[in-house]
Amino acid sequence: MAETAIASHGIAAETRRRPYVVVFGILAIVTLAELNVSVFGLAPSLRIGVLLILATAKGALVVAYYMHMRYEPRWLILVPLVAVALIAALVLALLGTGVTPSAPQP
Amino acid sequence: MDHAKDAGHEGAAHHGSVWPFVAGFGASIGYAGLILDLRILAFGVFVFVVGALGWLRDDIRSPSIASYGAFAARPGEVRVSSRKIATWLFLATEIMFFSAIIGVSWSLRTRSADWGRPGEVLNVPLTGLNTFILICSSLTMVEALAAVERGNQKQLKMFLAATLVLGITFLSIQAFEYTKLFFEEGLTFTGAPGGINPLYGSTFYIQTGVHGSHVFAGVLAMAYTTIKAFKGGFTKENHEAVELVGLYWHFVDVVWIFLFTIVYLI
Repeated sequence: MAETAIASHGIAAETRRRPYVVVFGILAIVTLAELNVSVFGLAPSLRIGVLLILATAKGALVVAYYMHMRYEPRWLILVPLVAVALIAALVLALLGTGVTPSAPQP
Repeated sequence: MDHAKDAGHEGAAHHGSVWPFVAGFGASIGYAGLILDLRILAFGVFVFVVGALGWLRDDIRSPSIASYGAFAARPGEVRVSSRKIATWLFLATEIMFFSAIIGVSWSLRTRSADWGRPGEVLNVPLTGLNTFILICSSLTMVEALAAVERGNQKQLKMFLAATLVLGITFLSIQAFEYTKLFFEEGLTFTGAPGGINPLYGSTFYIQTGVHGSHVFAGVLAMAYTTIKAFKGGFTKENHEAVELVGLYWHFVDVVWIFLFTIVYLI
């Protein structure tokens, strides 16, 4: 099932094993772990950090393998990364303006 | 005549459709109507739908050929088609769009002392199941692409149909969840039960609703792709639309991965 002929890039067809089912298994297990993260009794801030890291890891797996970013030329990752960088710049720009999560309004 | 083979010989006829311009013109009229008059909006939507249907009518008869421009490939070079670059650019705009919505909601909740706790109002196990369904649909989608890359038409159709069914299932469960929350739990656009900040409801519906509308658009695209696959419109050599629709589908999955964590678990 994971045996795939790569013909869509205009290069000679090449057979490569792609771990789609393995990635699916990891995504399912991590989702199960997310649903049960409360049983570990973590402090709220640590719990939020762990959940965000798990979500980022799952998202990265989907982008790398299911969206084939791992098999594309390196420069293509710049397209979504520029968007992420713009968002990071916006968040940084808002820091110190009073429009931040850490600055409750009166 | 075998349609798949037939489609593979019509490459030149695929370009030059006027319908994308009609659809774009209709969208422009529609946006103007949003400001000026609802009747103009209705007319714009009508022109857009006519353009979109005409575009689909042209496309379903055409092969799905990747275009790499005028430059020849260097030996060993992995090229990216123009439509795939355009799709990623579109997804980049979507990243910014969803970030704005999630960012506003996050900003509001961190200012509120009476925000809903995980599982207090929302049904986390049910949504966990829905998350699993969406992950399953990503697997079937990528397997559909792998199948057509191998030239396996039977598996292509089977996996595309499975993805379509899983997408519809996701939306059905979300509709069930909305109905329960809105009519039984009292979580509305302007109110929330148990002394929870009313903004909790509006941020919940805007985040999950905008995502749901994206899944709905994905289901429509998947239905079209599946119909085209059953008509033999994709071959081992020409199947780029399957990959591009898949990119959008997986992106919607990635957005849900973050929404599930931020809205339901934190």
